[in-house]
Amino acid sequence: MLANTKKYLVAGVGIAIVIAIAASFTSYLGQFEQLQQQDSGTTIYHDEVAVGKGSPLLGMETARVTIIEMGDYQCEMCKRWYDNTRPKIIENFVNTGKASLVFLDLPILGPDSKLAAEATYCAEDQGRFWDYHGMLYDFQGHMNSGWANIDRLNSFAFNLDLDMEKFNECMSSDKYEMRVKYNAQKAKSVGNSTPTFLLINTSGDQERIVGAQPYPVFERVIESLL
Amino acid sequence: MNHCCKLYSLKLVFSNFSYVLISGLIALGLFIPLSLVSEHLFLEPYIVFSLYPETVFSFSLILVLSILAGVVVSMNVFRVKLIKNTKKMGGSLIGTIIGASAGACSCGPIGVSVITSFGTAGSIASSFLTNYEIPLRLLSIGILILVLLTTMKSLSVECKINQ
Repeated sequence: MLANTKKYLVAGVGIAIVIAIAASFTSYLGQFEQLQQQDSGTTIYHDEVAVGKGSPLLGMETARVTIIEMGDYQCEMCKRWYDNTRPKIIENFVNTGKASLVFLDLPILGPDSKLAAEATYCAEDQGRFWDYHGMLYDFQGHMNSGWANIDRLNSFAFNLDLDMEKFNECMSSDKYEMRVKYNAQKAKSVGNSTPTFLLINTSGDQERIVGAQPYPVFERVIESLL
Repeated sequence: MNHCCKLYSLKLVFSNFSYVLISGLIALGLFIPLSLVSEHLFLEPYIVFSLYPETVFSFSLILVLSILAGVVVSMNVFRVKLIKNTKKMGGSLIGTIIGASAGACSCGPIGVSVITSFGTAGSIASSFLTNYEIPLRLLSIGILILVLLTTMKSLSVECKINQ
């Protein structure tokens, strides 16, 4: 009798666990599908990579070439590119209306990478995505050393004069957790290392650049796509 | 043991062109992959070599490490052939492996593969190798210098005995 009760109890707990896993997985897929539907309506790029849930566009919408950067805020090579190559691209191609830039999260280097990516979207809610993005690279520390933990992310927001109540609420609710996961999945379809760049022109011609390559490489590729 | 004898052992090994060739091939075989993973050298879309002020030191370490590994390994090959003793070969391999793995696990495909394959442990290993890239490379250079000096010393002793 006791053995039978024990069996039923074990079976019941097992079924409950399976149902709980299935429910959470269904909810996860539901949220993911929702993002995909929203994205297919907003993305302006062809099927190669959907960036509608990535960063806001830096530059003019009419730019002939779009540079999509797949990056991680903890990646030192991304910082190397940010410090050395990006300023010249901004000056010569983005500011002149020839190219625009989009950042797509590929947070592969640890939990702080995901948190930092979520924080940029919380800053975007207040119209400061690119400022926050820049601050993360300017103050990048050693990988997974705590430089991008929640306290530091809050202090970056504070230094940018963001509304801290809104920012904290956004971060504590994990509002953008799914968006970051979604972007990571899209970015992985292009490359599995950071930084990876996909340069696409309005005719659909494209070129992929892997790594923190120097400005002359980007200059040559952009010129060929213009 | 004076410096003259130690230098004699260097001259002894590298007077034979095949050891110069082995040394050069090992150095190049290490320098190219290390430059690739450290993103100093790119093969696509164009073959480009890039060096920024903040990466000069790291690049110099790669260069020193590659040359030292070439010299030390070829000297040990000479030594193994001479006295059939592989004892010191291990030290040079350890030094080379430490130097080669330092910094190789950053954001590139190797780092991502390590993290994907080994999860949290991979992430910790990758962070360690990336964050301590410079000290690890210095350590490996130290090991290689030590192995080089002991090899030079033992070669000069063994040569004297043989003579």
